[in-house]
Amino acid sequence: MTETTTAPAAPGAPAATEVDVRIEDDATPLVRLIGRTLRDSARAGHAHLVLRRPAGTVAIRSHDTPQAATITFGDGVSVSSGVLVEPDATITVDLNARFAPVAAPSGDAELAADALLALSPPVPDWQTAAAHFWSAARSVPGIPDVLIAVTEGPDGLEQLVLGEGATHYLIAGAPEALAGVFSGADDLLAVLSTGALGIQGTMSQLSVMVGASWKVRFDV
Amino acid sequence: MSELTMPANGVDRGEEAVRAVRLEATNHEGSFLGKTLTPKKFASGMDSGFAFADLLFGLDLGNAPVLGFAFPDWRGHLNDVYFRPDMSTLVEWEPGRQAVIGDYWLKDGRPVPICPRNLTKKMTSRLASLGFTATVAVEIEATVFEESIHEARARGYRDLTPLGGSAGTAYHLAKSKDWTGYMNAVADRLSAVGIEWEAWSDEDAAGQIEINLAPGDPLAVCDAWARTRQIMREVAFDLGRTVTFMAKPTAGYGQASHINLSLQRNGVNAFYAEEGPSETMRHAVGGLLATIEGNTSIVLPQITSYRRLVDLSGPPVTVSWGISNKTTAIRAVCGHPSYSRLEYRVPGADANLYLALAGVLAGVIAGLEREIEPPEPVAEMAWCMPPGEITRLPNTITKAAAALEADPILRDLLGSEFVDYWIGSRRWEWMQFHTAGGDPSADLSAWESARYFELP
Repeated sequence: MTETTTAPAAPGAPAATEVDVRIEDDATPLVRLIGRTLRDSARAGHAHLVLRRPAGTVAIRSHDTPQAATITFGDGVSVSSGVLVEPDATITVDLNARFAPVAAPSGDAELAADALLALSPPVPDWQTAAAHFWSAARSVPGIPDVLIAVTEGPDGLEQLVLGEGATHYLIAGAPEALAGVFSGADDLLAVLSTGALGIQGTMSQLSVMVGASWKVRFDV
Repeated sequence: MSELTMPANGVDRGEEAVRAVRLEATNHEGSFLGKTLTPKKFASGMDSGFAFADLLFGLDLGNAPVLGFAFPDWRGHLNDVYFRPDMSTLVEWEPGRQAVIGDYWLKDGRPVPICPRNLTKKMTSRLASLGFTATVAVEIEATVFEESIHEARARGYRDLTPLGGSAGTAYHLAKSKDWTGYMNAVADRLSAVGIEWEAWSDEDAAGQIEINLAPGDPLAVCDAWARTRQIMREVAFDLGRTVTFMAKPTAGYGQASHINLSLQRNGVNAFYAEEGPSETMRHAVGGLLATIEGNTSIVLPQITSYRRLVDLSGPPVTVSWGISNKTTAIRAVCGHPSYSRLEYRVPGADANLYLALAGVLAGVIAGLEREIEPPEPVAEMAWCMPPGEITRLPNTITKAAAALEADPILRDLLGSEFVDYWIGSRRWEWMQFHTAGGDPSADLSAWESARYFELP
């Protein structure tokens, strides 16, 4: 298991005690996604009572692929691949819609609701998310020198420029779309395919940006 | 400028006019790619090369662009790379149609850093600088099914009928004529295009065959390997059968691609010593073991490759070598100047032999240059050993990619561009498997069958 103790909550957020979120070694993307999302919740002081549940096993299944994982509450939270024990609750979700359930959960309804709450951390505003993304991604080999995020604000175009140097990469979209991708809540390629984002840069830069988006979404 | 009137290798079939020339080469995935040209077009580009879009190195086996890492400078917006034919490989593929193997080059004259054939050449050249030549042989394993490829496709490549029945395991001669007919047709085609084969036989699994090509220099054997697989496919198409080189075409047996290798110096087998391995062999083993975890990524390229790594099932699972010990990853065969050799037993049938051999030769070169002494050979069975007793091979595509990333020897010898590109493409493969339909909990998922059965 890889153990991560969450950092203290950000100023202004509800006080969060430390929560151990553990994922197995060589974890699958889904296990990594769940682990990262739960850590975001803990870090934000979101669903802190849920994250400290003394017990409960929840199966998370993808609605359109065989992906599955198990969340086990108690002595922190652990996430593992597949569903190897009979869970107390099972939730089938859309992984490209921030764990939105596609059907009523089965089993313990309260536990399922708790799990869904823990998997729904608040998404930061787009500027905060972009700064977080840049902090995590700027060390990725081949990342452009400058990331420019552009959106339409109430007073016209708003722009955030991160980094400095010769190579630039521009991402434009609605504030919610930018925040979703930069925070890791949404998958970059999936959002691009919907047309909700526009990008300007080279194909090589897109490739690197995909890798950077994996870093924030899956913590790889 | 060269002339197209030069005779093609292989059996003389008379004065058939050449109507077409096929360019052939593998990409990094091991797929055999090319174009068919008119003789006039071929003659016009024989020296300058033939343009191919760089996407031949940029698409995965599901035809999606591979993303997630920094591209090297030669990968732009579908830039061209250039195929240069190696005219020594020109053969008459069938009456009126010739085929030639080549490699990929950049516009500025540098080899494409991930071109498999160029990497093999790079390693054989480096080995030659040490005063050695290599003789290699490869065991080609494949499984043949009764159904046509069209039927196999309709069934999602699953629930097919092994050709030759399901009774028996290995070496059985009591096979129905449809099975021997297929292999005889393959052997005839090999001979017709000048590929020397030594033996074929029934292998362990139902429908599985093994064919052994004649030992030779690394590049020639790789070329013969690529063409043999193509011929096996073409014969299967002709006879209404299906053949696959997938690491595990069913949830049962897997299939390997063992590489046998010896080194010669001044015409003498440098692996031979009167008693046990020579110093050269020991150093080669030392280098191979030092690089085996990183090389696992190269010789087990796909998700399914790792499903083979099961104790007691045949493939090695540990970082190990032994003398006449087929449970180890590297088997040393000692005792005679004509057959003292190493058998590198990790590669799956899905490995690109050009890349696998480049990786193996890199290990050998490192061992020789650095005089790496191996540990004591494993005398016991190298399966099911107690935890901590011996290092196990990386058993997932991600662990193997991480091992390659951490390997300074392979990075130094194969080049950072190849290593980084390969690791990036393996991570993409891992992500695609998990997020696009693969099922790690299945013995063999439908996603794997769809992706790996026909290609590479």
